[in-house]
Amino acid sequence: MWQSLPLFGKLVLYAVMIAAAYTFSVAIVSGRGRPRYLQAARLGAYGTVSLIGLAVLCLAYAFVTHDFRIKYVAHYSDRSMTTGYLLTSLWGGQDGSLLWWLFLLSVYTAVCVRWLKGRFRELQPYIIATLMVIVLFFCVLMTFAANPFATSIAGAHVDGDGLNPLLQNFYMIIHPPSLYTGFVGCSVPFAFAIAALVTGRLDNEWVAACRKWMLFAWLFLSIGNALGMLWAYEELGWGGYWAWDPVENAAFLPWLTATAFVHSMMIQERRGMLKVWNVSLVLLTFFLTIFGTFLTRSGLIASVHSFAQSNIGTYFIWFLGFLIAACVGLVVWRVPRMRSEGRIEAVLSREAAFLANNWAFLGIMVFILVATTFPRISEWLMNQQSTVGPTFYNAWLPPAGLILFALMGIGPLLAWRKTSSQMFKRSFFAPTAAGLIMVILHLSFGRALRFPAFVTPDRIYEGFVGTALQKLGGVLPLVSTFLCAFNVAVVFQEYKRGIAARRRAASESFLGALVNLVAKARHRYGGYIVHLGIVVMFMGFTGHAWGVDKEVSLKPGETLQVDHYQLKYVSPRMEVDQTKRMIFADLAVTETSSGATVGQATPAKFIYRKMPESPTTEVSMLHSIRDDLYVVVGMVSPETKVATFQVHVNPLVSWIWAGVLVLILGAVVSMWPDVAVQEARGWSYLRLAGGLTSSLLFGLIVALTPARAFGQSSSSLHAGSVEINDPVEHALFSKLLCQCGDCARLPLSTCTCSTADSTRSEIRSRLRSGTTPEVIMADYAREYGPAALSVPPNKGALRAIYIVPVVVALGGLGLVFTVVRRWKKRGEDDATPTAAPGVPTPPDAYDAKLDEELKRLDG
Amino acid sequence: MAEPAKAKTSKRPPKIEAETNPDATPEQRIAGTLRWALPLASLVAAIAVGIAYGVGTAILILAGGVLLAVIAILWASVRTLAGDAPITLEEALALGAPSAAEEQKRAVLQALKDLEYERSVGKIGERDYEELLQRYRTEAKRLLRAVDEDLAPARARASAYLAEQLGRPEKKPAAAEPAKRPERRTCASCQTDNDVDAVFCKKCGAKMASTSKGRQDATA
Repeated sequence: MWQSLPLFGKLVLYAVMIAAAYTFSVAIVSGRGRPRYLQAARLGAYGTVSLIGLAVLCLAYAFVTHDFRIKYVAHYSDRSMTTGYLLTSLWGGQDGSLLWWLFLLSVYTAVCVRWLKGRFRELQPYIIATLMVIVLFFCVLMTFAANPFATSIAGAHVDGDGLNPLLQNFYMIIHPPSLYTGFVGCSVPFAFAIAALVTGRLDNEWVAACRKWMLFAWLFLSIGNALGMLWAYEELGWGGYWAWDPVENAAFLPWLTATAFVHSMMIQERRGMLKVWNVSLVLLTFFLTIFGTFLTRSGLIASVHSFAQSNIGTYFIWFLGFLIAACVGLVVWRVPRMRSEGRIEAVLSREAAFLANNWAFLGIMVFILVATTFPRISEWLMNQQSTVGPTFYNAWLPPAGLILFALMGIGPLLAWRKTSSQMFKRSFFAPTAAGLIMVILHLSFGRALRFPAFVTPDRIYEGFVGTALQKLGGVLPLVSTFLCAFNVAVVFQEYKRGIAARRRAASESFLGALVNLVAKARHRYGGYIVHLGIVVMFMGFTGHAWGVDKEVSLKPGETLQVDHYQLKYVSPRMEVDQTKRMIFADLAVTETSSGATVGQATPAKFIYRKMPESPTTEVSMLHSIRDDLYVVVGMVSPETKVATFQVHVNPLVSWIWAGVLVLILGAVVSMWPDVAVQEARGWSYLRLAGGLTSSLLFGLIVALTPARAFGQSSSSLHAGSVEINDPVEHALFSKLLCQCGDCARLPLSTCTCSTADSTRSEIRSRLRSGTTPEVIMADYAREYGPAALSVPPNKGALRAIYIVPVVVALGGLGLVFTVVRRWKKRGEDDATPTAAPGVPTPPDAYDAKLDEELKRLDG
Repeated sequence: MAEPAKAKTSKRPPKIEAETNPDATPEQRIAGTLRWALPLASLVAAIAVGIAYGVGTAILILAGGVLLAVIAILWASVRTLAGDAPITLEEALALGAPSAAEEQKRAVLQALKDLEYERSVGKIGERDYEELLQRYRTEAKRLLRAVDEDLAPARARASAYLAEQLGRPEKKPAAAEPAKRPERRTCASCQTDNDVDAVFCKKCGAKMASTSKGRQDATA
């Protein structure tokens, strides 16, 4: 059989298609009034899943046996690789990562079908059918556009290409699989939403059913994004963690809509409102995951992550079109069934706060979406090239983020339906007081601690908009301080009230009350822990405003003063191993004020045998709670031993990673399984807890399994060094993009390639000769075209980049107001608001039964 | 709601797990064994072969196991589709999953609990609490009643069935009540027993006399 293994692999892919099509049709038939066929559909789904497993095993076999007839195997492995590495190359490149995607989807499908057994009878057929459609799409994609079993026309190679040594890097390895787990996880809630739409069962049922699935996907999207930040921070060597790269944005967009859904589904559960909205959010989340994959794969927009160009883009566009048509059609068809049951009774209510929260999430989503796709939009519609760099996002998005951050604190304080002024005062007093105290502390001690309350960010535009953004950015640290304290106080207040209530009701100890409180309402209190994690992360983000960057050349023995650190350059040192030469520059780091030793920094350059022309930059970091000392070495002269260093002091970055850990903890608490009363025995609880733990563990293993870099070429990312001397240069460089052609859309302030280096020195000499930054920018744009600017110029049609999202956001706000007013009006028109289903009925036998059921629910 | 099993027409208790039920058909017994034996056997074989001959062969063995599983699963699927496979008790119970009313009941009970909580932490005024409590309780009772009414005919049939089974000492009583027992329809041309909602006869293919579409409309 192994003579024709590639053929066999292709056949298996065809078989997956056939099995998926069979399962799809049987599931549909079973949904149309033949419930007994459901069992056949379930078995069909298991069969499809097993076939996908078979395809993966075939590819694994090809890798292990070095079957270089297969192009994919030849491209991503060689004979020197160990079995472990060989197996991870399974999903190293594009074709294989599609198979990997399909495999993850099949695992989700299997678990979902198993979990569905005996539940949601009516929804089940359509859930299975929807999942099968997604399987079919990826199968078609693989079979016709990116077949992992495709053979090379020239026959088998003697040895494979192996792997670019630059790609063998831990953080680069771990974050994509985690994102994949999150991305693919969004398919299950999507299937639930479609099933609900098709069957017309749009009540709480499907929302409750997909809650855990959505949380799971959300958790892994969060972890994946956080790992992506960690990767950028630890490896890229430019001192930051988030560059607003299109691919980073693509992963962030579904996170935003998923988070919005996790909140707004509570309104549907509690009040039966926002049904259309919730369904649309889930559909949109899935759409964005596919759209994100499309962005990554089609090379539509230049990015550091771009894959080899291929024709799979067309398939994605068709699928995206099909998705839009199907989803919009279904939603429009079902709108009459999704009439809101409740109504908003007051603006100061939890419902209204959730609406505002959704508005903010979606507003940010639209903003990022427009900015990400703007280069293409401006080219198609306005015939103007443009590029949107991190500078643009960093000026616009923090204020929006803080609005969201404020809503996060306000929401939990408001009661459902309406908050009386007395209750409002009582809830808001402590958090507001905490916030104000922190503001006063910040104003008085901030400067002494080198965390001043006001900063002066770079201006991205001339004129009114630029000044307004700069002013807004200047007060953000103080606003952030207030909101952090406010949010922490809110969470503590919520816990305190809950514990106090429990202790009043049943005399429990403090600890006992805490444990029981969380155990009884895991969603709520887990959610608060997640909020706490977000607060800690926001403190880390705020730290960005106080960062210090310095760049200097030192001779051995010389010292450098950065912020509160004193760095003494000891000497360079060289080590050699089988694959590379390593040149380290040792620096002794001491505290300036006390002279105490902090540690040793050893930034390095690695020169790989395979590519001596592009040495990689290895960052050295000294972490502490207050800040990270981030040292990169530029060139080391072999004769004089003079080395150039870039030193960044990044305050509070460790808090981001700590916040992520808190967030994970909160999400796990939220997802902790409920035990149905009829099986509340010790072992069944163990079994459920074990189930969750093992699924999380599986997710983590999947997330952390080394997958090598997805074939991206990052040769420029690690090479060279950045040289920046003063704020004027920094402001200018951050607005100009490197034009070497390789490092797409990296600004001169962070790009480390040699072209950027020479451009920088050229511009520096012009600055010294008295040319103003504005003139230099204009010349740069004239020479390389408008796409060379990282912030699209604030003129003409290019203004659409911020006008469109702002208008959409304002329009959304208007819509929210209209909806609130209409619902309020509806409530007022209703003469007897409680009459709807709630005419008090005389007590009967069912009262006792109800009390009994409630007691059972308490366990 | 549940479709009838072929076995039930012969007035036998429904099939339970293959291992525990002496009445299981050989096919069910094989399926029951395969369910755990096949993965176990291929895993053990793969590990053993892997140690002896290397990872490549182990992967082949695993692939073989998966291929067998695919065949078995799809076989079972097609059999179920054709209506040939007897239905197990587990499957029958799965078909009678909670109705919409039951799901809604669960949500309302949860809402009542949340309400209680909100009152205890002082987030809701006494008047609002009373009003909401009344509304949710009424809704919950309505749903409880609906669930009861929904189940009443099935309950009656189940007790009748149990009484019948208990009245026949030679047979052991069934372990649990079966799902409700719908009537069968026979084909006018060949007299074959068909599902109640069949449009065509499964043996001769003749069109069955028209049936009420009521149930399908209810689920659509």
